[in-house]
Amino acid sequence: MSDEDDIESPVLTEASSILEDGNCEPAKTSESVDQRANPESKSEPVASTRKRPESKPSSDLETSEVLPVQASQAAGKETVSKDVPQTGWGYWGSWGKSLLSSASATVATVGQGISNVLEKAETSLGIPSPSEISTEVQRATGETNAKENETSSPMTGPFGVFSTISTAVQSTGKSVISGGLDALEFIGKKTMDVIAEGDPGFKRTKGLMNRNSTLSQVLREAKEKEELWTSNEVTVETDKKAHYGLLFDEFQGLSHLEALEMLSRESEIKVKSVLNSLSGEELETLKLELEQLKEAFSLAEFCEEEEEEKKGDEDFTKEITELVSQLNVSSKPEKLARARNTACEWIRTSLAQPLEEKEEGEKQLEAEKTVHINKNSIEDIHAFAIRSLAELTAYSIELFHKTAALVLHGRKQEVTAVERSRTLSQMTVVLCKELSSLSKEFTTCLTTAGVKEKADVLNPLITAVFLEASNSASYIQDAFQLLLPVLEISLIENKTELPEA
Amino acid sequence: MTYAYLFKYIIIGDTGVGKSCLLLQFTDKRFQPVHDLTIGVEFGARMVNIDGKQIKLQIWDTAGQESFRSITRSYYRGAAGALLVYDITRRETFNHLTSWLEDARQHSSSNMVIMLIGNKSDLESRRDVKREEGEAFAREHGLIFMETSAKTACNVEEAFINTAKEIYRKIQQGLFDVHNEANGIKIGPQQCISTSVGPSASQRNSRDVGSNSGCC
Repeated sequence: MSDEDDIESPVLTEASSILEDGNCEPAKTSESVDQRANPESKSEPVASTRKRPESKPSSDLETSEVLPVQASQAAGKETVSKDVPQTGWGYWGSWGKSLLSSASATVATVGQGISNVLEKAETSLGIPSPSEISTEVQRATGETNAKENETSSPMTGPFGVFSTISTAVQSTGKSVISGGLDALEFIGKKTMDVIAEGDPGFKRTKGLMNRNSTLSQVLREAKEKEELWTSNEVTVETDKKAHYGLLFDEFQGLSHLEALEMLSRESEIKVKSVLNSLSGEELETLKLELEQLKEAFSLAEFCEEEEEEKKGDEDFTKEITELVSQLNVSSKPEKLARARNTACEWIRTSLAQPLEEKEEGEKQLEAEKTVHINKNSIEDIHAFAIRSLAELTAYSIELFHKTAALVLHGRKQEVTAVERSRTLSQMTVVLCKELSSLSKEFTTCLTTAGVKEKADVLNPLITAVFLEASNSASYIQDAFQLLLPVLEISLIENKTELPEA
Repeated sequence: MTYAYLFKYIIIGDTGVGKSCLLLQFTDKRFQPVHDLTIGVEFGARMVNIDGKQIKLQIWDTAGQESFRSITRSYYRGAAGALLVYDITRRETFNHLTSWLEDARQHSSSNMVIMLIGNKSDLESRRDVKREEGEAFAREHGLIFMETSAKTACNVEEAFINTAKEIYRKIQQGLFDVHNEANGIKIGPQQCISTSVGPSASQRNSRDVGSNSGCC
């Protein structure tokens, strides 16, 4: 317990500084970022836990219902270490709400039933927390540092980040996009969470969401809205092609998500009943182990992630295949890899022509393949982009679902639950990064194909791609969190099978 | 595209009886003799037309392997219909029906419509379970019964559609609360406000269900 406190303390200082700040101004932010820049590897995972504490709303909420001890303990811990007496949600409350107000205008999927969260509309878009920023910085610089020497000191304030990117890229269109991406990605990622987390005192969030709070419900409702809309208004066939929710369902993403939720819920119930049946030292030990597992679920690698040389195209497939094999379950990422490669190939051929004269060398190697390609219209590109995002997201969630089934199915385990959790969180990072990089490439396609288009035609399409990409990333991350109870129960069952460790 | 209702189905039964083949035949109209073992559950969806209404069937094709049993049970919840499948050439798959049925009854709504299916009716020469036995079992347990062949597509459409008809009938009798999603029924997107469905709702690319029965 004590060494855990050691880990937490620096980060908590940081967190409280944000609390005082409300909207974290750049100055303050960069300060905390500097702090993070120290090679203090231990602080990373916990910081990331803060980054998405809301991402496991259901588990947290559920656990707190049955285990008030644990919940109040957790809350107590925070109260002690922070000056401001807040429970977990308070930390998000201040800028979360302001964020939501800007987000609700754009994020179609979460528009309903949240108006009561919007009581306080602050003017500005909430700037991400330091950890958030630094993640973005690392990601952004990771992608641009091929041309920039910024890598040595990537930690600057949020505006610095954007300007860094702007100088790094050549075309103006792209720089606008890169700046916008972080914000959009951020909105998408957070909106779901804010809804789930915006409820004080760990109460059930159902009220906020009009009875439904599961992710698949939200998605289903969004899809139904789209269905309704398409049936009423859409006369042009092509318009239907670009509806993320419909496509996501078509690729069975919704079903897999629902199935994963079922497994997750069931596992959660089992975990609770096990915890309830234990007491004393046994209980403490298990709790500690579960805590470790939870930490592995914190998407730490978002921060730590290697700066990494620019990836070749094969790398995603290789990486994801490797990760899946590390899980030591028999699920296969082939569908996912195939879909992703199709998307990449499409982008490449789509870009090959217009980019001929540009110095964006790396994508050009296979330009010869483009013989038959006539130029895609921006609508085509948009439709294909949305489709690809929906497809990849659906397959990612399928992979998570299959993994859950296989983890629950597996009797013998050569791989521990914690190891699996780490691998899965790495996988999540890889998937989200891939989505992000794909969306960037798609928008590059859009800007190149749409040079002659008016901004009010082109921009909504670009925005839509980024929005769906960021939504995709949050769906994947939320699906990932659904795996936690599954791994918890697998940890517990593994323990009981091998009574002594 | 739009539909009046969505029904959730589950397909259950021993491994190798042809659950995934039935689904594939129903959704894709093809037969694939060699299949990967189903992990957990797979999905299929298709629109059917019942009584002039578009109904979307969302089908959960579960793993039949015994070792997956505890997992697949998790998926039963919220199903409106179940296809309980055995293989007419393997008696043990028929013998296990009781345990499957218990599972199904225990883990899903009591209103769930269950269709008993004796699959592989094309393999008449290797038949191990008489049709009458299937019929008797169904009668005894209040199930609908059909023999099908996923290979020749015989009765496959009918099996899925008759189940849907029965569910629809139950809805009209008021046995199903369509607003309770635990029953495995969802009202289509345009029906959110009024439950009564105008006939105009079902125009879009419906794969109309022509009756091609009479083969078995």
